[in-house]
Amino acid sequence: MSNQLKQFFKSTITLGAIASLTILIFGGWSGAVIGWLLGTAIGLTSGEGKRVANPLQGAKLAVLPGFGVGIWLLIASLVQGLWLLPASGQRGLSVSSAMLFGLYSLAITVAAAVIMGAIQGLPSYRRQIATLFNIGAIAIIFPFIDQIAQTRWIATVIEIQIFVMLALGLNIVVGFAGLLDLGYAAFFAIGAYTTGLLSSSQLGIQWNFWLVLPIAAVIAGITGVILGAPTLRLRGDYIAIVTLGFGEIVPVVFRNLTSVRLEEPISKIIGTFMGHPEWAICLLGCDRPINLTGGEAGINPIGRPILPIIGTFTSSNYFPWYYLILLLVIFSYFLIGRLKDSRLGRSWTAIREDELAASAMGINLVQTKLLAFAMGATFSGFAGSFYASYITAIFPSVFDFSVSVIILCMVILGGLGNAIGVMLGGVIIMSADRLYLPQLAKVLKGVLNNSVLPNIANPQWQDFLATSIDPTQMRLFLFGLTLVIMMLVRPEGLLPDRIHQEELHGNETEKPV
Amino acid sequence: MMKIRYKRQPAWNWLLYLGLIYIFLLLGPLAGFDISRVVGEIAKNPELLIQQILVGLVNGAIIAIIALGYTMVYGIIELINFAHGDLYMLGGFTALSAIGAFGVTDSSTWQQSLIPILAALIISAVVCASINILTERYAYRPLRKAPKLAPLISAIGISFILQNIGLFWGGLGSFIPVMGGNAAAPKSFPDLLPRIDILKQLGIETSIQFTTKDLIVLLFAILLMTGLQLFVKYTRWGKAMRAVAQNPDAARIMGINVDQIIVMTFLIGGALAGAAGLMVGLYNNTIVFTMGFTAGLRAFTAAVLGGIGNIVGAMLGGVLIGLLSALSDQYFSSRWTNAWVFAVLVIILAFRPGGLLGENVQEKV
Repeated sequence: MSNQLKQFFKSTITLGAIASLTILIFGGWSGAVIGWLLGTAIGLTSGEGKRVANPLQGAKLAVLPGFGVGIWLLIASLVQGLWLLPASGQRGLSVSSAMLFGLYSLAITVAAAVIMGAIQGLPSYRRQIATLFNIGAIAIIFPFIDQIAQTRWIATVIEIQIFVMLALGLNIVVGFAGLLDLGYAAFFAIGAYTTGLLSSSQLGIQWNFWLVLPIAAVIAGITGVILGAPTLRLRGDYIAIVTLGFGEIVPVVFRNLTSVRLEEPISKIIGTFMGHPEWAICLLGCDRPINLTGGEAGINPIGRPILPIIGTFTSSNYFPWYYLILLLVIFSYFLIGRLKDSRLGRSWTAIREDELAASAMGINLVQTKLLAFAMGATFSGFAGSFYASYITAIFPSVFDFSVSVIILCMVILGGLGNAIGVMLGGVIIMSADRLYLPQLAKVLKGVLNNSVLPNIANPQWQDFLATSIDPTQMRLFLFGLTLVIMMLVRPEGLLPDRIHQEELHGNETEKPV
Repeated sequence: MMKIRYKRQPAWNWLLYLGLIYIFLLLGPLAGFDISRVVGEIAKNPELLIQQILVGLVNGAIIAIIALGYTMVYGIIELINFAHGDLYMLGGFTALSAIGAFGVTDSSTWQQSLIPILAALIISAVVCASINILTERYAYRPLRKAPKLAPLISAIGISFILQNIGLFWGGLGSFIPVMGGNAAAPKSFPDLLPRIDILKQLGIETSIQFTTKDLIVLLFAILLMTGLQLFVKYTRWGKAMRAVAQNPDAARIMGINVDQIIVMTFLIGGALAGAAGLMVGLYNNTIVFTMGFTAGLRAFTAAVLGGIGNIVGAMLGGVLIGLLSALSDQYFSSRWTNAWVFAVLVIILAFRPGGLLGENVQEKV
């Protein structure tokens, strides 16, 4: 029995920790929302590795882990209401209302787990349809639940989806074709700036978002080809460095193109040395240099999408944005899935596994790699275009190296080559970065200021604690640690692609020379 | 890996290069590369050019020392040690903390500051070498048999971790007063080196400034590089290092402890990074936790420019990159300097991946 309990505890510890952290730092109804999401995940995975004959058995399998996570939620809810809130100087909850929040979260977790568990017991074809239907329903009603529960996560969820899309694109380059791209944010920037230039008052061009979206994607793809053409014949680690250099150049370019004036070079040089500067033929910005990118101040405002019934998308109403990016993500997911199974996708796998053998089999290496680069850049351009229009302002500092590494982190954490894994990685990393860390910082600050600092006598330590305990300052550390630990422990990621896993672990049986 | 040949018609080649040069001349002025203006400025004030060359030489010498760390590690285990630039940044922080602990400030005379500087040099070299050895042991060694991208990604992770440690270190102002209040702000490094204008002392009338500060940094860099070169060329350890770089398996058969040699490479690279951190602090009088990334990329560019794995090449590349940055700061536009340096990196890799002096790396299938 104790062994079973241990097993039970082990199976719920990760999800339970996430759930209780959520309720500890967000409070309120957030426990119910996270319980709903995690419960569904539990139901989806509880039948794994076992034969589930019918819905009843599936539900039975899911109910216990669901209950386990629910208990975590209940305890966390009590801790949050009775201790954490008073400790951070806010008004605490009464025992009954904290219990109410906790029990409600528990019930929802169990219900979600049971529903999804039962679905896993259906016959195979119907199971797939029903699982898809359930997940689709969650994706569709999420904004409403978010509004009712007042968790205010939706703005972040939209950003998460933008990055999930970027991760899907990078997955083509790194996961499918095995080319390490460290300057992926550059294509994101190019997509965003194309949108910014074509639908803002910067150049006086104000095209419709729906027209600019594909243009931005195509331009990002073309830049991918231009960058890739001279460099893709290099060795793997050199490609990484060239893309890194490119990723560093692009923000510098966007930062500094504030007074553009082009003159035809040959006539200018001849003119200058003959002493007739007026010979130079001016091509662009002749009367007055053009301010192309707005420098550090960026481009602002950028046009928003318009649809017949909804009207213009506004920044106060997140619903249309949410559904638009959801559609884009689903579209990318299916498109990339089809690409992977195509002839091109199989050549990518071949190149990743053994370049020499692939080229011997008649695969044109440069062309295939170039297509991977271009495809990855195209999806990045899509995401950039949406991003520019969603934020309505873009600055060069948004697209620096750390963004490229965050996206790389997602791909590696989730599982190289596996689209579902990459999406999961994106959700984990972005929600940790944009949702949990800032909120955790806020809660910690409250607790420090109200309960810890007054009790510390030593002014040095007081000063140190007040300035240095800030989880948002630890982002880089966490990303770095994720990369290192994943490489050491599980280089294939959380949800690995089957072929990739074999590749990474295949030569472990070989003896070192 | 097999060399894959890409055939192109020679005439095409010329047209392509001419087209590229034309595009470069057309777009260059956007990034400050305006030949006629640059030539005009040089003609107007040639002394400024010499001044910038001197600045470039000194900065280049520091870059070269960082580049040595990249090139040695790459030569031996074919890993682009991304964390090396951040290691150099930590070297600067260690040196600043050590100098602060000795209580030396701007107003100290050079007799007072000589011993603290030497102590700071030793401390930062030891700290950086230890960090480098630890990262090698725990982050790179377990991945030596893994696909090549795995250690590279691990190195990027270490680079981020070190950068965050630098940020955290900068926030320790309550324990280390020299760090000041704000964690992310640049830290001011005391100006300890004597600043005597050599040319004026020699009685040469010119606007060019070359002070003892420049000379000390330059001489120290040359000393380190010569020492390393002699070490690699003439000692048993150096011979073993070259053997491992050429062929680790054969070296092992010859009785060389390969792991030990790799650890020693990281030790030397780390100590050089620590020394470079101190030198940059003393020379520029300011350090910041993000300086490692840019400096690291410049140094890596230098290593690639000279031919990676090639120690003399790294020195040459470092000086060239230093000159390029100094001239670009003066004549193009300092806002574009980074773009120029990375453009050199991209161009070198695209057209001459072996670097100027040829790379010294075994291609393994």
